Amino acid sequence: MAFTITCPVCGPRDGYEFRFGGEDKGPRPEAADLTPAAWCDYVHMADSRPGVQKEWWVHRQGCGAWFTIHRDTVANQEVSLNLLEAAE
Amino acid sequence: MNRLKHLPTLRITPGAARSFTYGKHTFEGLQGDTVATALFANGVRVFGRSLKYHRPRGLYSLDGECSNTLMEVDGVPNVRTETTPLTAGIRVAAQNVMGRPELDLLGVLDAFSWAMPAGFYYRMFHRPARVWPLAIQQIRKAAGLGRLSPDFRMPGRFDEIYPAADVCVLGGGPAGLSAALAAAERGLRVILLEARPWLGGAFEYRAADDGDGVALHRKARDLAAAVAARPEIRVFTQAPAIGVYSDGQVTAFQRGGPDQSFDERYIEIRAAAVVVATGCGERPLLFEHNERPGVMQPACAQRLARTWGLLAGTEAVFSVGHDLGLEAAVDLFDLGLKVAAVADIREDGQDPTLVKALAQRNIPLLKGWVARKAHGGNRVTGATLTSVNGRFHRRLTCDLLAAAAGLTPATGPLTLAQSQLAFDPHTGYFLPRTLPKGLQAAGRLLGLESWAAVTASGRRAGLQAAADAGADCQAAIRESEAALRDLPGAVRGSKFVIAPGCGRKAFICFDEDTTVKNVDQAMAMGFDVPELIKRFTSAGTGPGQGGIPGHNLPLYVAQTGLSPDAHPRPTTARPPLVPTLLATYAGAQHDMSKRTPLHDLQVACGGRMERVGVWTRARRFTDDPRCRTEILNVRTNVGLLDASTLGKFLIFGPDALKALQRVYVSDMARMTPGRAKYSAMCNDDGCITDDGVVVQTAENDYYFTTSTARAGVTVEWFRYHTRYDGWCYHLVNLTDAYGVLNLAGPKAREVLSRVTTADVSNAAFPYMGYREMAIHGVPVRALRLGFVGELSYELHVPSSYMPALWDLLMEAGRLEGIRPFGLEAQNALRMEKGHLIIGSESEQRTTLHDVGLGFLWQREKADQRLVGAAALMQTERQPGRLKLVGFKMADPSGPPPRDGSPIVDARIRGYVCTARYSFTLKEPVGLALVEDGLAQEGARLAIYEDGCQGQLTHAVVTPYPFYDPEGRRLRQ
Repeated sequence: MAFTITCPVCGPRDGYEFRFGGEDKGPRPEAADLTPAAWCDYVHMADSRPGVQKEWWVHRQGCGAWFTIHRDTVANQEVSLNLLEAAE
Repeated sequence: MNRLKHLPTLRITPGAARSFTYGKHTFEGLQGDTVATALFANGVRVFGRSLKYHRPRGLYSLDGECSNTLMEVDGVPNVRTETTPLTAGIRVAAQNVMGRPELDLLGVLDAFSWAMPAGFYYRMFHRPARVWPLAIQQIRKAAGLGRLSPDFRMPGRFDEIYPAADVCVLGGGPAGLSAALAAAERGLRVILLEARPWLGGAFEYRAADDGDGVALHRKARDLAAAVAARPEIRVFTQAPAIGVYSDGQVTAFQRGGPDQSFDERYIEIRAAAVVVATGCGERPLLFEHNERPGVMQPACAQRLARTWGLLAGTEAVFSVGHDLGLEAAVDLFDLGLKVAAVADIREDGQDPTLVKALAQRNIPLLKGWVARKAHGGNRVTGATLTSVNGRFHRRLTCDLLAAAAGLTPATGPLTLAQSQLAFDPHTGYFLPRTLPKGLQAAGRLLGLESWAAVTASGRRAGLQAAADAGADCQAAIRESEAALRDLPGAVRGSKFVIAPGCGRKAFICFDEDTTVKNVDQAMAMGFDVPELIKRFTSAGTGPGQGGIPGHNLPLYVAQTGLSPDAHPRPTTARPPLVPTLLATYAGAQHDMSKRTPLHDLQVACGGRMERVGVWTRARRFTDDPRCRTEILNVRTNVGLLDASTLGKFLIFGPDALKALQRVYVSDMARMTPGRAKYSAMCNDDGCITDDGVVVQTAENDYYFTTSTARAGVTVEWFRYHTRYDGWCYHLVNLTDAYGVLNLAGPKAREVLSRVTTADVSNAAFPYMGYREMAIHGVPVRALRLGFVGELSYELHVPSSYMPALWDLLMEAGRLEGIRPFGLEAQNALRMEKGHLIIGSESEQRTTLHDVGLGFLWQREKADQRLVGAAALMQTERQPGRLKLVGFKMADPSGPPPRDGSPIVDARIRGYVCTARYSFTLKEPVGLALVEDGLAQEGARLAIYEDGCQGQLTHAVVTPYPFYDPEGRRLRQ
């Protein structure tokens, strides 16, 4: 958690102010036709791939907002979206 | 011991005596001494005994690079006496000694070093297995550093601070000082960390000059004064950096003392840019008995004299590999030390002025020579020198052997910051090949030596860091780079490690008693890279964290030619770079808790206050731990409970109902105005996390309560589970803004009707009703609930009105015998009634079904994507789960089992959640979570209690609620 995170409301802040909310896996699935295995996958399984991923964070010791950032899990640093788009 | 006087470099205050005890002696040191220098001044030469062989050890360096001078100070073991300032009245004792350090009975172990080859600890005592416990006991007695009793409590005051800066500079030598000044001049806020008590680094004690006639110590002090004068620079001395992380995070600790508010504190810095200017230490020279007391690093001898006025001996032999060693020999000669000879590993390349200075003083300089052996036991009595090719020897008498092979850069912070280090053949250093963004390196750790080059590189790094922090200074950076190019670059350094023909008693690591022979043994067994050899021989894993062997081990391994690495490869460094007290990491222990608005009133009523989670609450109001009178008063008259810790929330907005539907298991659309709805929340696994009541106060406007423990996370929970939906609702946490009084008991209505004009009759305000009323003008949200199983009113009022309402009700209920009750009484009352407390009657794996609340779940609201719905479906009829049951004791005359006691039957099959003696039922009753096989009425439960000596007690599963199962009393 040594890294900094940019809160959309409060700006760049110390990583300790935030709590991790998991990889971005999209909206909650519809309950109809949902198998227990698929549900378990959605709730508990993460890709955990090295590289840049989109993930949820909450500014727990700040404004309380939930938001997504892109983070390089190898360098353990937030990656700005502009840089990402420039690279693509 | 007489001190040298009138040196401009001294850091001691003559005349300011500080007396302390060492063993049976009372010694005197001076203000400015460290514990180690004060001991040295009093003639102590053997400071302790080594880990394995119990060899005598003395002062070797002065910055705590090795365990030689670890001692017990005021009962605290392993104190680094080299870096601990002397304070008056301390008690110092040697450690790892049987007898006296000068005459250690275990010193005989040294003669048996042949029996303890590398890794013997792992290899010798594992067969047969029964030997191990015996062996480990004996080894533990003989080995190890310091002793700590199991009930030791760390004395001292500890603290923590979290400062921020634009630029953080590590190292207060000329490079660091210049970097800090350069950044400060650009208007940036700078934090500078220096491990020593003063600034100036390796220059602040040097009397030499750079040819301009101004002594280096003068220049260093002027530069330090310039830094002190800048308000933008915050200087921390006695504060070694211990960690460097991404995004400019630096951790350190700082030693304080009687004059500060702390003895030691943890510092965590967040900076936009970091400059590493940690300089160099001296790289130890390996030869036979290279760690005898009396062998020390040349800079150690020089600093002893220059900083503390202590001559380290009377007659010295120097064996050096760099010009600083020659300079130290000349300087110490001028201060009164006899120098028998100076051996220099280098055949050529010495600074001609220093060679001339030695010649002028008739000090023989032996180029291409090196120390081969130190003679003597507790003290050095002589040295044998040898030519580097090993052909010629000379024995000299001396009581000081100042030896170093070269210099070693303090690259630890760079390694931690993920900088790639590569071996540089010119300097013999591991130099940064790449630097991560926002990190700069400067000064001597890059191989620079001259004042001008070191300060110029500091300035360049400071400007670069300023640019990293957002300052516009590209032109100045280009200028500083040009200036640096015109100055002398990195100095050629020695790669020499060990004198020819040595190894058996040549120690590469002092802390772990690792000899070069041990390294050879490890390599013979196939460990061929430094990192592995480090693990196997434990060289560099001791308290010094590689300060002594860190550089020598890879150099030596590469020189054997037996390693697959063509170039030396550094071993890894990990935080903390300097061993740090756990107490320092723990930092300040401010025990902070929240108090309810009724705290003082409850204390005045005899409330026994207790910490419960984040709150301090009243456990009970009498001396009776079972709270008999409190309980019976609620059952027969009326009681008053401060329930202010309940979570209280408003939720409103067009999508408020959708949000409630998402997290509450019940169908929240089916709510009647004026009625409270009891429901529960589950997590995605269907496990119950919270229960509470919700009321609709207007269209799209709701008020709800959560359990005390969930109050802090509820907003986060709602927002998390609706984060994809973009719903429009607002949540307001009123937990601290509102207080709650629970007026409970059969006479509650009489009391309430006396303070309000609102109609509180059973018809007008029935069970589960919600009313907004006024009590003497105070706005009250009143809920008619029955947690304790009696007629009761939960009165929610703004916090500031709570004391007034408490007084009103206590006064109004006097006739009815009203009295306050606490958490313990509430716990027994609600348990008799079979009401749950989430966390007591549930654990992480307990689902809504398991605690018998499955009926709250309304599955027809499938379109709401309820949190936990899928798991509730799946676990509804899942076998093998722990179910909540009630029980009574097979022997009703016995005591109730303790909460948490396991229920056993060859294996653990459940546990007691809450059990109390019921004053209402006149026998113990309880709730337990048991395997479904035991959950039928009449099943016998065997309960194991702590300390029961195998005597199980027995209980029988009984339906609950035990008290008023029909719920008549709630509705009366």
